[in-house]
Amino acid sequence: MAGDVVLVVDDEPQIRRVVRNVLAADEVRVLEASNGQQAIDLAAAERPALIVLDLGLPDIQGIAVCREIRSWSSAPIIVLSARHSDQEKVALLDAGADDYMTKPFSPGELQARVRAQLRRSRLAPAAGATQVITIGELVIDPVKPSLKKRDVGVHLTKTEWELLRTLLKHAGRTLTHQQLFRAVWGNSSGDMQQYLRVHVRSLRRKIETDPVRPRLIVTEPGVGYRFENEP
Amino acid sequence: MSDDRATSPRRGVRRREWVAWFAVLFAVTAAMVAIRAHINEAHVALAYLLVVQGGSARGGRPLGIALSAAAFLCFDVLFLPPYGTLTLQDPLNWIVLGGFLLTSILSAQLLYRAQSEAEIARDRAAEVDRLASLGAETLNVGRAEEALMAIASVIRASLRLDECALYMTSGTARPDPIVSRSRVARSDMTVDSRLVDWVAGEGRSVVERLDGTTERNWPIQQLSVASPTTNRARAFLRPLQVRERTVGVLRISNAAGLTLTPAQIRVLEALAYYAALGVERVRLVGEAQRAVALQEAHKAKDAVLASVSHDLRTPLTTIKALAHEIAQGGDDRAAVIEEEADRLNLFVAQMLDLSRIASGSAASNVHPNEAEDLLGAAAQQVSGRLHGRELRIEVASDEPLLFGRFDFAQTLRAVVNLIDNAAKYSPANAPIDLIARRDGRWLVFAVGDRGPGISSEQRERIFEPFYRRSESPDVGGVGLGLSIARGIAEAQGGTLELDHRDGGGSVFSLRVPAIPTAELEQAAGVLGERDDASNES
Repeated sequence: MAGDVVLVVDDEPQIRRVVRNVLAADEVRVLEASNGQQAIDLAAAERPALIVLDLGLPDIQGIAVCREIRSWSSAPIIVLSARHSDQEKVALLDAGADDYMTKPFSPGELQARVRAQLRRSRLAPAAGATQVITIGELVIDPVKPSLKKRDVGVHLTKTEWELLRTLLKHAGRTLTHQQLFRAVWGNSSGDMQQYLRVHVRSLRRKIETDPVRPRLIVTEPGVGYRFENEP
Repeated sequence: MSDDRATSPRRGVRRREWVAWFAVLFAVTAAMVAIRAHINEAHVALAYLLVVQGGSARGGRPLGIALSAAAFLCFDVLFLPPYGTLTLQDPLNWIVLGGFLLTSILSAQLLYRAQSEAEIARDRAAEVDRLASLGAETLNVGRAEEALMAIASVIRASLRLDECALYMTSGTARPDPIVSRSRVARSDMTVDSRLVDWVAGEGRSVVERLDGTTERNWPIQQLSVASPTTNRARAFLRPLQVRERTVGVLRISNAAGLTLTPAQIRVLEALAYYAALGVERVRLVGEAQRAVALQEAHKAKDAVLASVSHDLRTPLTTIKALAHEIAQGGDDRAAVIEEEADRLNLFVAQMLDLSRIASGSAASNVHPNEAEDLLGAAAQQVSGRLHGRELRIEVASDEPLLFGRFDFAQTLRAVVNLIDNAAKYSPANAPIDLIARRDGRWLVFAVGDRGPGISSEQRERIFEPFYRRSESPDVGGVGLGLSIARGIAEAQGGTLELDHRDGGGSVFSLRVPAIPTAELEQAAGVLGERDDASNES
């Protein structure tokens, strides 16, 4: 983690200062940009390991910056926004952002998210989808495929496997309803919200210890679902 | 529709035709008399027949018949011996004469019929032409009101009325009628607006008579029936309908009396349909403009909300972060600053919620959602602030799937507000119950506590913004949680009610529309098809 380059984009110097202080503990090198164009230029020149991007930029819309950087970089992008809007959150995740924090955020929370994103990006990208994984009382072999809960085999339907594989592949990252639906069902038509919820529910029944209080497939209200591989 | 001004010249033309054709008859007769020795009856009959047919073709049936009669006499007197008398030498010649007369009258009659049919066809074609061009005009005119004016003018001019008025009655606002009035018309007639309202409401016609009386439910065909002077119609009102819905009222009037021919009634009916379409178009254009204005207003408000939230939350972020840093250095006062910053942030969020509810945009993301999913998300959100208190979650339903149609994030906010409220007003060790169940067409999220309960006087007041229960200790907050929760419930067609709970305490029931199980099983079945082919592991 030490020595990583992190780019902080915000037009407010005070917020940049806050983020810089949060990152100081991890001994990363912090680059700062105060507008969108500068952010894109710096990201291209310095290839940072992570980008913290504020949405209220004076020149370019934050979502456009996000999409632009994502088109040639796979560095995790954590978005900061003062608008508590689910639609905005969905749009950003669809544009390639990895995480989203609303202002005012707590410094401890930001630190935890930055660390999680850096750790995740360091892992092989598709590791979760090809290796046998043990999470709590679950043993998942996505290739075979087989699933054991407390050493007892659990049958998953084909749709449930595709849903689980998609979630595993992006473990720790929130997938929007749209992204999940596309990955599992392709471009089928229909009420995607309803299909998705029916199958998330049945998958939870099979893998969660207490499906009413899920710990693995976490709901991101109004946005989508996230697989927590380190609950 | 014949025109008075057009009639007199036509009469002049007709007189000239008569003179001309009798001259032709005279000339033909004179010519044939000159060569009488060389021609027989057949030549004479043929020549006269040609004159009769030419005459009836140019001058109509009366001229044809008059020419037939004259030719008959000339034939008899001048060409059938003995010449100069009506008597006939050879009785067989009566057959020749009779045949001639019959043939000439018949041909005049047939020609007349063919011609009048051609004329009707021409009239019809002109009528269709007029309607088509009017239709095109009404679609082309830039402003919808101008199109209506054009229609009113055409109706007035083509039926030669004093006045034609179009009333738009479908909206809540009643704009002024579009009135086309002839220059010579006396505009002293006052329109009874109650009659217009009645026609708009009932979708039936009304007649106003010259003597001032009115008759409702009056069929338009009556306009062509001649009636005594005092009983004649002065004005006629008919509904304008589009797809069996009354959108306006058409009023036509003639101060001197209103009588229409069946053809004119037909034209009026056709034009009235254009008028109805025109009125509907005015309404739709108005609606579209209002929608655009509303959208603009929403956009402006959203922009204000966005900038307010940005301008308030950005400094709060700094305050909170700096306080956090200082608190880590061991200063307790910094922790208070951080808490207060959080409180301020909550207040900002609640004010924005209230404004969103007030503007009707609180539930903009309504989808089929699952009850259990919401319970889990609620448990997760409040887990950090229940301080070890038990939250019991139950799905009280025998149905395999419990779905409702609601905005997930907003409903979650409402349920979390209810749980926070229960935690505030009940003993710290008392568990809180969160139950999802179906109640008929509703999906109910019930939050039950074992607090002191709420008196019936306060039962509605606690949903008012900024209301705080008098007997309760200071529990923090500003008293917006419950009114926001109710606003969210109502924004998606649901309700939020408070009841006494058996065994003490209160229970809040938030209702949102449920989705019928049959509909869900169908959805699950559609997607389950692929699972049949799954590799059993």
